[in-house]
Amino acid sequence: MTIRFQNVTKSFGDTRVVDDLSLEIEHGEFVVLLGPSGCGKTTTLRMLAGLETVTSGDIYIDDERINDVQTQHRDLAMVFQSYALYPHMTIAENIAYPLRVRKLDKTERTTRVNKVAAMLEIESLLDRKPRQLSGGERQRVALARAIVREPRAYLMDEPLSNLDARLRVQMRGELKRLQHQLGTTTIYVTHDQAEAMTLASRVAVMKRGRLQQFDTPLNIYNRPANRFVAEFVGSPSMNFIDGKIENAVFVNNSIKIRVQRPDTNQVTLGIRPEHIQVLTEPQDGAIPASVYVTELMGNETFVFLSVGNNKLIARAPAEFRADFETQVWLRMNIEKAHFFDSEMGLAI
Amino acid sequence: MKRASLKYLVLLPALVAALAPVYWMFTISLKSEADHFAVPPAWFNFAPTLEHYYDAFVTRSFGQYLITSAIVAVISTICALVLGTLAAYALARFRLPYDLDRRLSLWILSTRMFPAIVTAVPLFLMMRDLRLLNTKASLIIVYTAFNLPFVVWMMRGFFDEVPRDLEEAALVDGDSRLGALVRVVLPLVSPGLAATAVFCLIVSWNEFLFALVLTQTDASMTLPVGIAGRVTQYEIKWGVMSAAGAVAIVPILVFAMAMQKYLVRGLSMGAVKG
Repeated sequence: MTIRFQNVTKSFGDTRVVDDLSLEIEHGEFVVLLGPSGCGKTTTLRMLAGLETVTSGDIYIDDERINDVQTQHRDLAMVFQSYALYPHMTIAENIAYPLRVRKLDKTERTTRVNKVAAMLEIESLLDRKPRQLSGGERQRVALARAIVREPRAYLMDEPLSNLDARLRVQMRGELKRLQHQLGTTTIYVTHDQAEAMTLASRVAVMKRGRLQQFDTPLNIYNRPANRFVAEFVGSPSMNFIDGKIENAVFVNNSIKIRVQRPDTNQVTLGIRPEHIQVLTEPQDGAIPASVYVTELMGNETFVFLSVGNNKLIARAPAEFRADFETQVWLRMNIEKAHFFDSEMGLAI
Repeated sequence: MKRASLKYLVLLPALVAALAPVYWMFTISLKSEADHFAVPPAWFNFAPTLEHYYDAFVTRSFGQYLITSAIVAVISTICALVLGTLAAYALARFRLPYDLDRRLSLWILSTRMFPAIVTAVPLFLMMRDLRLLNTKASLIIVYTAFNLPFVVWMMRGFFDEVPRDLEEAALVDGDSRLGALVRVVLPLVSPGLAATAVFCLIVSWNEFLFALVLTQTDASMTLPVGIAGRVTQYEIKWGVMSAAGAVAIVPILVFAMAMQKYLVRGLSMGAVKG
């Protein structure tokens, strides 16, 4: 099943929440809508579900225009951030609800509920009420209710955001396996770039209602289309240094690096923390810097550095130790650097 | 232990004040007419008799009034609940252009702000022209209309408490709006619905003014009008009135007790997040 957004705009009053969005999602894809809060990703999902009207533009499912199709006739399943389990029904009744409204007979309903419950390992919870369940269990029930009727696509609105960190990572993996197993097109909304990177076959990065880039996680990371995408994806964030290029040398008030680039007056150099090497001894071409602070993460150390009035972050091995204000030297892997036009932030 | 007894001590005056008239009515209904005006009053020592009950429900038509009251109260409560709940749901969930949802809510509430008596004459004329005077239908219509604003406001508050996600989940799961309302939302607001129903029923059951204006015949008269009718220019039938009054209390008492569990939850709904 393919989903196509064509110049879709959504306004609430004078505010454009989604602005001229065009997106084509292939059959069986796992697409993540990624962006900070207020970027229109949830609104986009809700328009697809039919919970919000489309101000202008068209949405197609398998070439059928669905703008005016009511929610209940779109045959999509949605997992809500709050899980939205029906509190007065047992877990079994919750899962069976989509089948009940489709008037499936009782034995068929029971068979399918049991099958899905077994798949998600929640058979023992079927007689309980939602309030007796933990967050992780509720999450599974919400998933079960979505899966039970084999819809055309799954829509997920930050389904893992209410879980604690450990459970989130575990469920993330399970979601990925589940989607692989079912092969159903899935659209997943999150502000967590780690979820986007791990789950998606393609990521759509949004900012203030506009699509910034729609590509595979690897390309989003390695070839960001603009400064916003570069900054939003990756943790810790990419470093940005404003400067200019003169005679194939990037020049900033305290940094000079040779680059194979045409001359430009205003340019931003972007470099990820893992592409900056921190040296304790001076080396030819290395840039002197001082340690602002270090954060030991266990498997590695984040080194925050001052270079003149530039603040940079570098990743160093776990053994790296340095006191505040220690003099160090930096070596940048300039082949991995990105250049953005300083005004618009577009990659050049 | 001390605290508990103190609590009852504080409750006692309120309880006495509330129950004394009821007790007095109940004893009058059981006293012979000679005892009604005994000085000093016979609080406890009198020879109980059921003559007034016999007089009211066998000789006179109070049984008929009771049935009329029950029919009118139950049907008007059901009508007000159905219409009011749907209206409240719409007002709670849909935003109308020009801020109409808020304006409509206030407008609906404003119908409760003027004294009921000002509508008595217009309603009488309307019912006369519709040939509905002296019918149960006239009372059902009027009581439904008067209970509606109350139902709308109560239920709107309860609907506001139900997270939208639940209905949206029901819609995505393939249910219609009405199906989501019936299967998901209404079960969640049932305590509120029960509390509202009790209030509507009490109001309709006790209503006197419109019943007096719109019904004159034995066949269409409700209990309050029937009771008041025993006050005539020649005599006041205290015994009959008390007997009828004592019986009139019973249905509401039973209903309220049956609903008690919901009533408390309904009235405090929203105070604490469930």
